[in-house]
Amino acid sequence: MAAAKTEDAPKTASQIESEFKEYSIAEFFKKNRQMLGYSGEARSLTTIVHEYVTNALDACEDAKILPEITVQINALSATPRSTEIGVGDGTTRAFEIDDEIAKAASLSILVSGVEKQRGADYVIKYEKKGKNSVRMLSFKNDAPSAGAIVSAKWAAGHLKVSVEDNGTGIPKSKVGQALGMLLAGTKFATRAQKRGQQGIGASYATLFAQITTGKPTHVKTSMGDKVFECDLTIDVKKNTPALSNEKEYGQAVRKFKGLRVEAEFSEVAYDRSEYSVFEYLRRTALANPHAQLTLIEPNGQMVVFPRASTKIPSKPKDSKPHPLGLTTSDLIDMAGVSQGRKITSFLTGDFSKISQDKIDELKTLLPNIDFEKHPSKMQWAEAEAIVNAFRKIKFYNPDLDTLQPIGEEQVRKSLKNLLEPEQLSVIERKPKVFRGGIPFLVEAAIAYGGKAGKTEEGAINGEVMRFANRVPLLFDAGNCAITEAVKTIDWGRYDLKNIEGLPIVVFVNFTSVYVPYTGAGKLAISAEEEIVAEIRFALMECAREIAVYLHGLQKAENAEKRKQIFFKYLGEVAEALHDVTGKEKTVLIEKMKKIAEHRTSLLEQEEGAEEELEEIEEEAEEEIKEEG
Amino acid sequence: MPETAVAEAKRRETLTKIVKLGNDLVREIEVQENPHIDIPIRGSANVHFDEKRKKIVLGDKIAKRYLFNVAHARRFMQTMLVASYVKKDLLENNLTATLRDLYYAKKHTIPGAHEDTIDEQKESDIAIVDFEVALETFRERLHLRAEPKGRMAGDIVVMDRVRDKVDKIDLSRMGSGGWAVPSIVEQIEFKDVGVEYVLVAEKNAIFDRLNEDAFWKKEKCLLMTTAGQAARGARRLLQRLSSELKLPVYCLTDADPYGWYIYSTMKYGSMALAHESDRLGCPEMRFLGMSISDIEHYELKNVTIKAKEVDIKRAQEIQAYEWFKSKEWQAEIKKFLDKRIKAEIQALSSKSLQYISKTYLPEKIRNKDFLP
Repeated sequence: MAAAKTEDAPKTASQIESEFKEYSIAEFFKKNRQMLGYSGEARSLTTIVHEYVTNALDACEDAKILPEITVQINALSATPRSTEIGVGDGTTRAFEIDDEIAKAASLSILVSGVEKQRGADYVIKYEKKGKNSVRMLSFKNDAPSAGAIVSAKWAAGHLKVSVEDNGTGIPKSKVGQALGMLLAGTKFATRAQKRGQQGIGASYATLFAQITTGKPTHVKTSMGDKVFECDLTIDVKKNTPALSNEKEYGQAVRKFKGLRVEAEFSEVAYDRSEYSVFEYLRRTALANPHAQLTLIEPNGQMVVFPRASTKIPSKPKDSKPHPLGLTTSDLIDMAGVSQGRKITSFLTGDFSKISQDKIDELKTLLPNIDFEKHPSKMQWAEAEAIVNAFRKIKFYNPDLDTLQPIGEEQVRKSLKNLLEPEQLSVIERKPKVFRGGIPFLVEAAIAYGGKAGKTEEGAINGEVMRFANRVPLLFDAGNCAITEAVKTIDWGRYDLKNIEGLPIVVFVNFTSVYVPYTGAGKLAISAEEEIVAEIRFALMECAREIAVYLHGLQKAENAEKRKQIFFKYLGEVAEALHDVTGKEKTVLIEKMKKIAEHRTSLLEQEEGAEEELEEIEEEAEEEIKEEG
Repeated sequence: MPETAVAEAKRRETLTKIVKLGNDLVREIEVQENPHIDIPIRGSANVHFDEKRKKIVLGDKIAKRYLFNVAHARRFMQTMLVASYVKKDLLENNLTATLRDLYYAKKHTIPGAHEDTIDEQKESDIAIVDFEVALETFRERLHLRAEPKGRMAGDIVVMDRVRDKVDKIDLSRMGSGGWAVPSIVEQIEFKDVGVEYVLVAEKNAIFDRLNEDAFWKKEKCLLMTTAGQAARGARRLLQRLSSELKLPVYCLTDADPYGWYIYSTMKYGSMALAHESDRLGCPEMRFLGMSISDIEHYELKNVTIKAKEVDIKRAQEIQAYEWFKSKEWQAEIKKFLDKRIKAEIQALSSKSLQYISKTYLPEKIRNKDFLP
């Protein structure tokens, strides 16, 4: 089943695994890091934090612990390195220079060991080279003489990332496997819904630290009693973990339990953009109301995303595919590896919701198929007929307990807690299946007003927050089923026409045991028809509620405007009435104000009169025209 | 000579109406109701042609203008400004003013708001019409003057009054320009009438031509130009000449839909001023020319103008009006729509300059060659 389900993913785990055999792991990593989320400095940092935090959340949930996770980012300056840039020939003034060096936190350029002055002696600028632009070190006055060595003494800025949780901790014997081996995760083998999926995340972070700073990852863990600490690197040739500086000790007073991972990285940057660690944690908090997340930023500022609920999500069960949404090739593939000895036992055993009754129905519908033969003998045409017949049979919906949604109430609490919106609408749809009978469930919410939306340069912008199994998807929005659904809704129908410019958060959590990501980087959900349709339904349902609220708001706003208009003219009317009747002006104003207050609350008045008035106006204008 | 008793009585009557309207509003305010003014609806929805009285008349549909209605509030306020100005500044002082005077007198910034009471004169003009229909009176009774338009010449003496000063005016001695018809003609008295009919020309040029040729003297007629669509003063005066002096009134316009409509407005009233048809209509008026048939009869084909799309459209509209349903007019309109040509009265000058005064008009009048 795994093979069938990953057919749309650009690179499957097994492909990656086989590629490991062809290249050295470091080579593979350098080639593929973009695919895994390590592209761009801010994004790389977010990816690192994401890997650690998802593992921490899963660990806490496994043990039914309310997660308390602290993420700390410290800025460090690294030991300077020396790199040769080129050798002078007496005429060449410009030398190509690595991006990494050009952007380093500290940089000096030396010619034959003599330091040159930036600005006075040289500049570093972009230059076109073919299709690409490269950084060039360009000497302003004299070209380095023949044989003179041009070198850079530089140090990239480092960030130290540490993530600590209060989960189960890792047994001493498994530390290397969990954090120092690629594709060694335990999740990949099962169909249970988990945040991480491919067992490559945290180990990649270890590797990334190693590649960019040459430093090991420091691990501290305890399952309750003894504390184990060590430094960890990966032997890239063998893809095996290497532990050093191991120490184990008992703890007397403060009971540390859980896992703390600490690593130093270069080629990363901290900011508060929409792809940042900050945004990632904010959204993680939204989707995990039972977790308490703390972020300590490089400038020492502490941000706490408080826990909104003490309800720990129940652990999802492993699930078998549901017969609906199955394709013929899925069925053939599954039949080929089934343990069942007959087609009947294959169907009842390997699928959920296929009972003996349903088999009987199937037999009635397909009298020509021999259901007693071995499943591997099933022909394509037979499989096709069975798949078609499945659609005519009424099955029970997929089990809800195979899915672990956040829950309507939890989403509500969480969004209220962090966004304090004026109006909030939350929908949890019923489970559905997409291809291969994979159950999924969509939760959606729209929060309006309060802290919802981003403020950028003084303008409010709406935000679409995408989640898959509670994990925020920050990148690659363009290819995502959620974005597709948001784009194709006619928001104008819900008084939300310019959704980008509204104080609004659109929240969608896609829950499934198998998330059809568009790539191994787990950035976006593949825009499959059934999924997009479900998300659209959920969002439209939310939008309807918001529209009702906005309509009420509009009414109130109108009422206030009406009052303003009425009050504005009262002085003039009172004075004219005084001129005509001699009545006291102030008395008239007071009495009219009272009527105005009362009338303001009566909203639907004299609509007909308004129409007639327009007519009068038109005619009177015509008359004036006629008279010249 | 003081204000005549009749004029004063009329002025008091209008004042009383205004005060009553004000008191009605105060009463509504006292009982905490939404103050409103009843305004008869003008325009096609509430206008029809009274076959018997030969007039375009207003129906009985009324719109209520509320103070506390967002769409009405500003207009309500402006209508009240008109009421105050007419009562306090004009009627009580026995003064008249132009629409523009009122606009400037009442335009100011509303205290505490970045808004003027009146932005453009058009707004106060509309408020004035609203006010006059609400009071079921007419503009002259509010002492408001329109721009005067129209000139006259003929063997007739009239008495005019400017407040206490009374002038005796001999319309046969007004030189080349003629006598300018004032915007308010209620006070005009007719003396020494030496004319047998009235000839109204739409165009100044025709008036000047006929005046120069002393046509009115030879033909014993009272000559008038409306200079386009007739102003209220001119229309009221025509009505009085027709009803009080029983003089036949003949109309002379271009042979096109706009000429026809100018004629019908003087004769039956207009849709927009349907409430004043009783005062402004002149049902006995006849259409002398120029007709489409005249083009053939007087061999003017080579001086016609091709009708434009708008002319055709206007003609089709007029064809549908109740007051153009007589078979003569339907035939005339049909002829126009068939031939798709129109002609100006000046086309007659192609014959000779004095052809209109020496041949065309005498012949038409003698033969009673006109349309109803």
